[in-house]
Amino acid sequence: MAAGNFLSGRDVVVAAYGETPIRRRGGFTPYELAAEALAEIFAKTGLTPADIDGFATNVPHSESTNQYYTPYLCDYLGITPRWMEISDHGGGSAIAAVSRAALAIQAGMCELAVVLCADAPTTAWNAANGGYRVEFWDPTGIQGPPGGFGLLMNRYAHQYDLKPEALGKLAVAQREGAVFNDLAYDKLRTPITVQDYLDSRMISSPVRLLDCVMFCDGAAGVLVTSEERAKRMGLSDLVYPTAYIVNYNAAEAQPDVTETGFAVIGPELLEKAGRSVGDVRMFQPYDDFLIAEMIQLEQFGWCGRGEGSDFLLDTDVSYRGTLPINSGGGQISAGQIGLASGMTNFVEAVRQMRGEAGERQIKDPDNAIVTGIGVITYGRSWKVSNAVMLEH
Amino acid sequence: MNATATKRPVPKPTATTQPFWDGVKDGKLLVQYDPDSDSWQFYPRAISMKTGKRNLEWREASGTGTVYSFTETYVPMAGFEDRVPYLLAMVDLDEGVRILANLVNVTADAVSIGMKVKVAFEKITDDADYFCFEPA
Repeated sequence: MAAGNFLSGRDVVVAAYGETPIRRRGGFTPYELAAEALAEIFAKTGLTPADIDGFATNVPHSESTNQYYTPYLCDYLGITPRWMEISDHGGGSAIAAVSRAALAIQAGMCELAVVLCADAPTTAWNAANGGYRVEFWDPTGIQGPPGGFGLLMNRYAHQYDLKPEALGKLAVAQREGAVFNDLAYDKLRTPITVQDYLDSRMISSPVRLLDCVMFCDGAAGVLVTSEERAKRMGLSDLVYPTAYIVNYNAAEAQPDVTETGFAVIGPELLEKAGRSVGDVRMFQPYDDFLIAEMIQLEQFGWCGRGEGSDFLLDTDVSYRGTLPINSGGGQISAGQIGLASGMTNFVEAVRQMRGEAGERQIKDPDNAIVTGIGVITYGRSWKVSNAVMLEH
Repeated sequence: MNATATKRPVPKPTATTQPFWDGVKDGKLLVQYDPDSDSWQFYPRAISMKTGKRNLEWREASGTGTVYSFTETYVPMAGFEDRVPYLLAMVDLDEGVRILANLVNVTADAVSIGMKVKVAFEKITDDADYFCFEPA
């Protein structure tokens, strides 16, 4: 039986966002990047650091050896929170943190929460994972995420009909959005063709270079508050999270790696939100690899298992299309800002719903689904699958 | 010994996993077995994933299984530069667990999903051995 939906009352809103340009080796720390994104939220809302009483962030690669990161970051920003939180869901951290901020506001623990995600892995790499990695992962030479996704994608291609040109079409559509996205990483802002995708070199078969995200530095964040407080402040164009859910499967010794947590939470999220896939105006899925997006399309129910290739070939998924996917380029064409990454597509959804996306503006941007994926796992699919439904 | 080979990460046994690595040194693949649920698990843990009990026994696995999936890696991790391209596989052991390991003594064009493989062992430093798989 599905649990209740704590967001069904539409009492919590996303009231503003801020985002830095996405850069590589920019020389900025996550503290500096967070400050840059937060200043935009302050400029838009008239708030000052003293007004913020709730704060949530992600564990960044660039500061993961700092066990006191969240208080250090609050101190840097001049924020004195009554409620403070950090999420370690990898690419699912951003929307996990948004959901926790919503709960904290509902519980009366704070009134004005900033969820601010920042990372600078190309300037400072300080990640060190323990667990099974030390003995059973790193000594095999597995090439991190591309190796893990090579295994997953090869299995998908074994079980289903994977058409590389369909993934190429998705890559092209996202790149079109990035060309119009001033914040996307500069070197990713030139158009590509399906042939460019097919010709890109193999990283860990069958994963090609243009299947993958590129690590970058940056920050993005949102102001989360109650609808009542936002209206009292005169803030408009509010975006309502209406459902959130997370799933992780650790139950089986030999699971089907193509079956992810989205097979559970995709349909359940839609049910909680009272929506069907046909209602969804834009999909901003977590996109560390193109195949992850195709699997999500199938497991949310836009098409059946193994039908993702034909769905992509038959559907215009560009910002002009019937189902826009990652209209700002996604991470694959805007750059992956380390473990702050989940906030990039979330902010793009909010921006689109407020009608502020300029030349890549989606028509009728009434709602969106944003997802997160966290951590490649041992012998299974990815670990965290989470998703949030947004309504305008 | 060349300079790059020494950089390959060496497993650091824990209080729980030490018997596994002792087994590897003796050319044995030891897998944890939960007698209460008649189930096997891998990687080694201090608790049964099925029953939540600390009732696990070490048993020597047959060492045979099938390739569940594989990938050929062209961008090496540190310590693997002299092997590029190299093969990684998820191997489903006959006992019912899945293991991540290198495939050796075979090239990518000869590997297929479902192929039968058997465990092998290679020396990664003077002191450390590691398990891998080769065609059965």
